[in-house]
Amino acid sequence: MALFVVFQTTFFLTLLSLRTYQSEVLAERLPLTPVSLKVSTNSIHQSLHLQWTVHNLPYHQELKMVFQIQISRIETSNVVWVGNYSTTVKWNQVLHWSWESELPLECATHFVRMKSVMDDASFPEPNFWSNWSSWEEVSVQDSLGRGILFVFPKDKLVEEGSNVTICYVSRNIQNNVSCYLEGKQIHGEQLDPHVTAFNLNSVPFIRNRGTNIYCEASQGNVSKGIEGIVLFVSKVLEEPKDFSCETQDFKTLHCTWDPGTDTALGWSKQPSQSYTLFESFSGEKKLCTHKNWCNWQITQDSQETYNFTLIAENYLRKRSVNILFNLTHRVYLMNPFSVNFENVNATNAIMTWKVHSMRNNFTYLCQIELHGEGKMMQYDVSIKVNGEYFLSELEPATEYMARVRCADASHFWKWSEWSGQNFTTLEAAPSEAPDVWRSVNSEPGNHTVTLFWKPLSKLHANGKILFYNVVVENLDKPSRSELRSIPAPANSTKLILDRCSYQICVTANNSVGASPASIIVISVDPENKEVEEERIAGTDGRFSLSWKPQPGDIIGYVVDWCDHPQDVLQWKNVGPNTTSTVISTDAFRPGVRYDFRIYGLSTKRIACLLEKKTGYSQELAPSDNPHVLVDMLTSHSFTLSWKDYSTESQPGFIQGYHVYLKSKARQCHPRFQKAVLSDGSECCKYKIDNPEEKALIVDNLKPESSYEFFVTPFTSAGEGPNATFTKVTTPDEHSSMLIHILLPMVFCVLLIMIVCYLKSQWIKETCYPDIPDPYKSSILSLIKFKENPHLTIMNVSDCIPDAIEVVSKPEGTKIQILGTRKSLTETELTKPNYLYLLPTEKNHSGPGPCICFENFTYNQAASDSGFCGHVPVSPKAPPSMLGLMTSPENVLKALEKNYMNSLGEVPAGETSLNYVSQLASPMSGDKDSLPTNPVEPPHCSEYKMQMAVPLRLALPRPTENSSLSSITLLDPGEHYR
Amino acid sequence: MDDWDSWGMLACLCTVLWHLPAVPALNRTGDPGPGPSIQKTYDLTRYLEHQLRSLAGTYLNYLGPPFNEPDFNPPRLGAETLPRATVDLEVWRSLNDKLRLTQNYEAYSHLLCYLRGLNRQAATAELRRSLAHFCTSLQGLLGSIAGVMAALGYPLPQPLPGTEPTWTPGPAHSDFLQKMDDFWLLKELQTWLWRSAKDFNRLKKKMQPPAAAVTLHLGAHGF
Repeated sequence: MALFVVFQTTFFLTLLSLRTYQSEVLAERLPLTPVSLKVSTNSIHQSLHLQWTVHNLPYHQELKMVFQIQISRIETSNVVWVGNYSTTVKWNQVLHWSWESELPLECATHFVRMKSVMDDASFPEPNFWSNWSSWEEVSVQDSLGRGILFVFPKDKLVEEGSNVTICYVSRNIQNNVSCYLEGKQIHGEQLDPHVTAFNLNSVPFIRNRGTNIYCEASQGNVSKGIEGIVLFVSKVLEEPKDFSCETQDFKTLHCTWDPGTDTALGWSKQPSQSYTLFESFSGEKKLCTHKNWCNWQITQDSQETYNFTLIAENYLRKRSVNILFNLTHRVYLMNPFSVNFENVNATNAIMTWKVHSMRNNFTYLCQIELHGEGKMMQYDVSIKVNGEYFLSELEPATEYMARVRCADASHFWKWSEWSGQNFTTLEAAPSEAPDVWRSVNSEPGNHTVTLFWKPLSKLHANGKILFYNVVVENLDKPSRSELRSIPAPANSTKLILDRCSYQICVTANNSVGASPASIIVISVDPENKEVEEERIAGTDGRFSLSWKPQPGDIIGYVVDWCDHPQDVLQWKNVGPNTTSTVISTDAFRPGVRYDFRIYGLSTKRIACLLEKKTGYSQELAPSDNPHVLVDMLTSHSFTLSWKDYSTESQPGFIQGYHVYLKSKARQCHPRFQKAVLSDGSECCKYKIDNPEEKALIVDNLKPESSYEFFVTPFTSAGEGPNATFTKVTTPDEHSSMLIHILLPMVFCVLLIMIVCYLKSQWIKETCYPDIPDPYKSSILSLIKFKENPHLTIMNVSDCIPDAIEVVSKPEGTKIQILGTRKSLTETELTKPNYLYLLPTEKNHSGPGPCICFENFTYNQAASDSGFCGHVPVSPKAPPSMLGLMTSPENVLKALEKNYMNSLGEVPAGETSLNYVSQLASPMSGDKDSLPTNPVEPPHCSEYKMQMAVPLRLALPRPTENSSLSSITLLDPGEHYR
Repeated sequence: MDDWDSWGMLACLCTVLWHLPAVPALNRTGDPGPGPSIQKTYDLTRYLEHQLRSLAGTYLNYLGPPFNEPDFNPPRLGAETLPRATVDLEVWRSLNDKLRLTQNYEAYSHLLCYLRGLNRQAATAELRRSLAHFCTSLQGLLGSIAGVMAALGYPLPQPLPGTEPTWTPGPAHSDFLQKMDDFWLLKELQTWLWRSAKDFNRLKKKMQPPAAAVTLHLGAHGF
């Protein structure tokens, strides 16, 4: 057979070399059938790999053929893919072809067959298909090994958004298998009882450690096994953006790009994408080590054009971008160097710099930026290698910053980095006269002129101002002028000028020269004009001022004022055609009064005061209340006055005063109105509209009534602070009258007393002459001597008269009684001065009840002796005593009565009083008649107490008509003797 | 590799310092016996248990679901090489001290090795730091167990040549199974630490005189 084939082939080839027609005929008769078809699998790529040969192919001849391939799954009839594969076939060639399955190959048996047809132009029509090869079966399941559950594909790497089919193979159909994607159960299509497939469409990127998919086999609730895969989903590789290359030195090309998202995955499943630079003209390639830039060495000087392709690549995708450029068009210059400034003066400077040389005859475009005084100027200049630029119109004494950058002038690609340097222009003389103003204080004989000037702005100073020259020239005596040099930064000076006209010139000086002079003239009487002050109101921290236009030659107006609290003179210059201005400054404070003076400046530079205005930028309520005095207080009125209150030093214009009055009466007085205070209480209010009216007569008041008042000033912003009301009480209506009567009366009494004192002896003799003492009587000595040496004065207690004989001998009686009195007085000397009215027991210790009386004038003793310290508190005191002294009140009462009795002021019938009887009883009633009966003591304890008085000491002073019986009655002790 | 050597040195130093009080030559009050060593080993076990709780949470989140789900409890089909901590209660009770300590020592030797493998494949730097720190602590525990065994006079188990467990990413090992192994490694480690706490508590009670037991018990509550 083999020999026959060889012979036949040889025969055909011989014929083909001779006649084409003959070969066509042979091809028709002998179809080229694919033979030796072998199918292998690649689990990682899920692909079937086919290899075959073609039978009956002519020797050393290439024929174009088409192979139709059929792939079935699970069974031959289930064709899942049919396709043609065209290729040129050589004699004895083994052909290869691969097919990638979306379903993991482990999950189903696959069948492959093919047929072929010649598709070569050298063979005329008609061509016909060969027969199908036999089905080739591919099954991987047998190689799975032991296990009850398998999930495929293992650890597949896919791109985000792609469709993935996964499947599981369960060995035991009894097991119930559930599959989960990231913890959520998924449902698939059962391919056969053991195999189920799941189609995952457009899988998302979840994490770079992969998406976990697992299946669990269980019977009932018993888990039999768990198996899973990790699906690695990569982000889609992006095309590099902003790819560009440039050179700074024609030796290296620096290429940069934006890499976009990093597609690296965990567990080394996929590294970050790589970048490769490929240049097509040279055919060179370079793997870049950085993800966003790469340097390319320029080796050939002759190569001007480059075609770069940047290829980004990961396991799944390749992306590339391309740029084609001329090298000279991609020159990014290095920044210029040696930036310097030459010939710098006040307004000009020359700037020089150098550029790194690139190639010969290279022209550079440079850009200069000049920064100074908050402004920026820009200049462009074209240079070769050394750059130079003349900077003009500069400001003197100013620091500038100049910088320069360059680019290729012929093919602009991009500017270089900046190179810069600072420089300062020189000073120039100040360009403007300082703004000068003055204040004048006129004193007798001279003026004190204070000159003020504002520092020149930087623009006009042209350098650092070192001093100010003030030249004072006497206009009346032109030969005399004075120069004063005041070092900066002073802004004022004081001049004392006599009463002449002076011209003052002020110049500012720096190191270069002086400014134009500012001239001001002080007249002989600078501020002699009396001007009415007008009140103005500020709004929002500013004042609007207007004034009447001044006739005559006016070169301008000046408004000046003082800042508070610094007290610095401020001024504003206004043009000659303007008659109003707005003064606005942050220095204005609410509640501060500002005084504005408006001057007109004549052509002779003399200032003339035109108007005065005063006002507050914002008025405030008064800060304090006046100190109010109350005078002219009568029972019906009083006057309130606060003369000392200053209305000028208040934080607002005082418009008047409010007088608040509170009284018990509900009705307000005339002129007052009802008002409610902040605390809710009601009162009466009187409004005084005149701020200079600082007194108020409050009348129509009631006597002996109290009133409360409170005075507070008010401005347009309100009243003064709350304060307490002051109380005033109107006096009694009769009190004055009483004073008018009482004072003379007291005077009269005093006069009488003085007279009485001076004439006391006379009064005594007249009103109450001494009672003669019988013991002191001269008759007594006479009797003793002549008749009986043992004769004594009879004691009235020693005898009991049984008959009374009335002898009408007034003189003799008198003498006798006087003698008796003397005896008594002697007796008194041997006795204690104090008589215990209530004797205590012997064993009584301590001070006993000691109501005592001094001598016989016990009434007086009771008022000042220590009895009160001896209140009868002894429990052993007789009941009668206790009854007497049960309370101190009783004692006091009793003693008080006694004292009164002693004055003889006891009303008749008041018999219960102590010791009424001691003096009054014998002497009461008819003075000349003796009582026939002893005085009956009233039935009261006080009287009983008197009964206990020892006779001798309690003996009443005998009077002329004293009754002996009554004496006896009072001295029981003597009576027993 | 140098990095791991330095970690090992550090762990060794920690272990030495840990056991300094137990060295008789340095102890002036006399030999206290293995009691303090056991107590410290017990304390270290409890500390590691606490440390692992946070580490495992981070690492399982890194693996993603279902491994970080609290009720994920797969059958232990793979991970056969991991030393099992679970043991029958009666068998555990019947273990003598030597065997008990030997099993602990061997288990942690293996687990430490696997854990270092885990560290190599961790992608984030923070996770690598946490794992390295835990490895150092676990090395300290291993040294501590060795110290207790030495104090009790037991020889350290010698690893058979060629049986040294190594972490090798096998080509046949799928990524899912690798994740499962990591899961089981952390789970076994947790169980082992729990078991070791029981083991050392039992040993401690056995070694300590009854009077001192109360103090040590309170001390253990510091963790």
